[in-house]
Amino acid sequence: MSLASALKTGDLTALPSRRDEDWRWTDLRGLLRILPPPAPAHDGDIPAGPFVELTDAGTVFVNGRRVAGADVSKGVVALRFVALADKTSQAASHALVVKPGETLVLLESHEGRAGGYVSNVTLDIAVGEGASLERIILVEDDAEAINVVTAEIDLAPGATYAQTVLTSGARRQRIETRVNHPGAHAQVRLDGVYILGGQRHADQTTVVTHAGVDGVTSQLTKGVAADQARGVFQGRIVVAQGADQTDARMGHHALILSDKAEVDAKPELLIFADDVSCAHGNTIGALDDEAIFYARQRGIPEAEAKAMLTVAFVGEVVERIEHEGARAIAAAWVARKLGSPT
Amino acid sequence: MAAVKETVETVAALEKYEHGFTTEIEQEFAPKGLSEDIVRFISAKKGEPQWMLDWRLDAYRRWLELEEPTWAKVNFPKIDYQDSYYYAAPSTKEGPKSLDEVDPELLAVYAKLGIPLKEQEVLAGVEGAPRYAVDAVFDSVSVVTTFKKELAAVGVIFCSMSEAVREHPELVRQYLGSVVPTSDNYFACLNSAVFSDGSFVYIPPGVRCPMELSTYFRINAKDSGQFERTLIIADKGAYCSYLEGCTAPMRDENQLHAAVVELVLLDDAEIKYSTVQNWYPGDPETGKGGIYNFVTKRADCRGDRSKVSWTQVETGSAITWKYPSCVLRGEGSSGEFYSIAVTNGHQQADTGTKMIHLGANTRSRIVAKGISAGKSTSTYRGLVSAHPKAKGARNFTQCDSLLIGKTCAAHTVPYIEARNGHSVFEHEATTTRLSDDQLFYCQQRGLSQEEAVALLVNGFVKDVLQQLPMEFAVEAQKLVAISLEGSVG
Repeated sequence: MSLASALKTGDLTALPSRRDEDWRWTDLRGLLRILPPPAPAHDGDIPAGPFVELTDAGTVFVNGRRVAGADVSKGVVALRFVALADKTSQAASHALVVKPGETLVLLESHEGRAGGYVSNVTLDIAVGEGASLERIILVEDDAEAINVVTAEIDLAPGATYAQTVLTSGARRQRIETRVNHPGAHAQVRLDGVYILGGQRHADQTTVVTHAGVDGVTSQLTKGVAADQARGVFQGRIVVAQGADQTDARMGHHALILSDKAEVDAKPELLIFADDVSCAHGNTIGALDDEAIFYARQRGIPEAEAKAMLTVAFVGEVVERIEHEGARAIAAAWVARKLGSPT
Repeated sequence: MAAVKETVETVAALEKYEHGFTTEIEQEFAPKGLSEDIVRFISAKKGEPQWMLDWRLDAYRRWLELEEPTWAKVNFPKIDYQDSYYYAAPSTKEGPKSLDEVDPELLAVYAKLGIPLKEQEVLAGVEGAPRYAVDAVFDSVSVVTTFKKELAAVGVIFCSMSEAVREHPELVRQYLGSVVPTSDNYFACLNSAVFSDGSFVYIPPGVRCPMELSTYFRINAKDSGQFERTLIIADKGAYCSYLEGCTAPMRDENQLHAAVVELVLLDDAEIKYSTVQNWYPGDPETGKGGIYNFVTKRADCRGDRSKVSWTQVETGSAITWKYPSCVLRGEGSSGEFYSIAVTNGHQQADTGTKMIHLGANTRSRIVAKGISAGKSTSTYRGLVSAHPKAKGARNFTQCDSLLIGKTCAAHTVPYIEARNGHSVFEHEATTTRLSDDQLFYCQQRGLSQEEAVALLVNGFVKDVLQQLPMEFAVEAQKLVAISLEGSVG
């Protein structure tokens, strides 16, 4: 039941629908009536990616085909998925291993430079013992695109994994991350930002499975939905039997800026061990009228005041990005999306 | 140290499951199994009019087309719906005119359960003692309803469902199935086809019901299911508080309890519905037997500024699968849900609530406390949704789970769907175990381990216990302690 298998076999009934519990808010079967033809190979220039000023190294996929890149697994590396063909479908998969003790910053970008495409990306990432990976995912899809990105992360004991998703949505979009957490002092941070307007949709789904003792997970997702947009957050933390001393926190907070926008959230905790400390918090609401009033009283126009407050709201997630250069790019992206002066 | 003393006494009075006795009573059964004929049989037994029979048959036909849902986090072998009695009633020649005509054996059962059925006994009690009217349902029929005259004097109708179908057909026809439609879900549909008895309450406009109303459900017969149906209508500005208690004998086979409760609230009405559910939970060691408690409860706040409050203490049942819900339709209406779910042994509970905000400025509050011990599983599952028209909607949800022991599980599965920009939703959940420090502190001061656990657990669930009417609060507190007996160590 996935977009990947539907693209492979051409069988539309393999698409997940609202009747599938994990896809209840991200219906693909109801939306995709015909599968567009596979994207052609691209010959010609590839435009520069959003992280170009931070690194030249990395792997590039264009129209679902790998066109460049060496397997570098330390330092700062880009991973680009570029869609350049209108109304086509594409599927890509990629595997990455961070060797024990090494540190990698992965600057991943999904660049929709065409219209109405259907894209599926599958990633397998393994982080070795004591290794550290920070993954920053910037997703800029076309408003009519359908894009599903699924990553499976395997952590070794003592590994550190940090992730920040920044997305502006698509017609339907799902960024799914599944983390196999061994406990054993491994640390996970899973963050996300969605800023949606128009009729865009963005779904951030995470599943963290704690299998062993002494694991830490910290999650913070913040989103803004305006116009007729729809934000979806599904977070699941599973603590298996015996995974004691797990410390897991999950937070999802969203702003709804219009009466036609929608935010759906399902923060789940499935706990099979008793010596744990797990919590989640979820809030959905509007901007504080009093804060806007305060700003206007001081001569700041309403639109600007709203933008300021929204940037500050989302800013908390951006602040948690460790890599300085990536953090600056993320902050600029947020400011641009929210129409606020930087 | 009053609280400690009480806890000590409670623990001293522990029994495994004190309501597990069976009563040999002459009973009348419908033939085993389920078919159109059985539906006709039940309807005929109750002397129902044709429209009621048609309604049941329609439900039965729909039920045949429905599929049994499987999404809950509960595991149980497939139920054989043909291997159960759908109607079991204590035999009586004619319907009893007064309490004196009720089989003394039956009265003894309720006396043993500590439920006052004799009005004079209640009246003869301590002066100022709370009085409450009782509708006692034994398997498929209501055996007696007390204080009917006194309630009728203020216009309150309180009777069994069967009687309401005969005496007040216009009200029943208007409201039955209007909150939980026949084909709402698999078990509600089954209930609509074969429901036996339950309570019917109508509070006229502006009346504050002068006493607590209550129902005691008792499953007694072997191999039988209980399918009661309760309908409470609070007209404009009316108020009532309703209590529900349930017990069953200890049996090795599972018994199905699929009830439907519908509450209708018009403008400015208020209903407080409290449940202390203590069905037989099955054998704590082997998990054998126990009740499957698959219940649909829903309140429809049709009127502006109406208010409904669900309070539930779930300690029994092998499997609990229920979500008392509030449809907040009226402007400024509000819903509350306070719940304690205690699971021990092999019990499984998937319970929570739904708050559906449809009207402007509607408010809801959810406080759910789950305690799992032994090899049990407890899941909080809840939905909070706001319609685009529900501007100014407000929800606060808090669910806390407490784990006692290494083999139990506690899950939290909330769904939040917000569809407008003028509402605020807050949700927080925590899962922890009993703190070693606190246990140590209590034990240092001379409490045994079990007393300490009972004390701490009572503290954990205090927010919810406070919402219960007085008589129930004491009982519920004891129940929580009893249910957790033997869970530590």
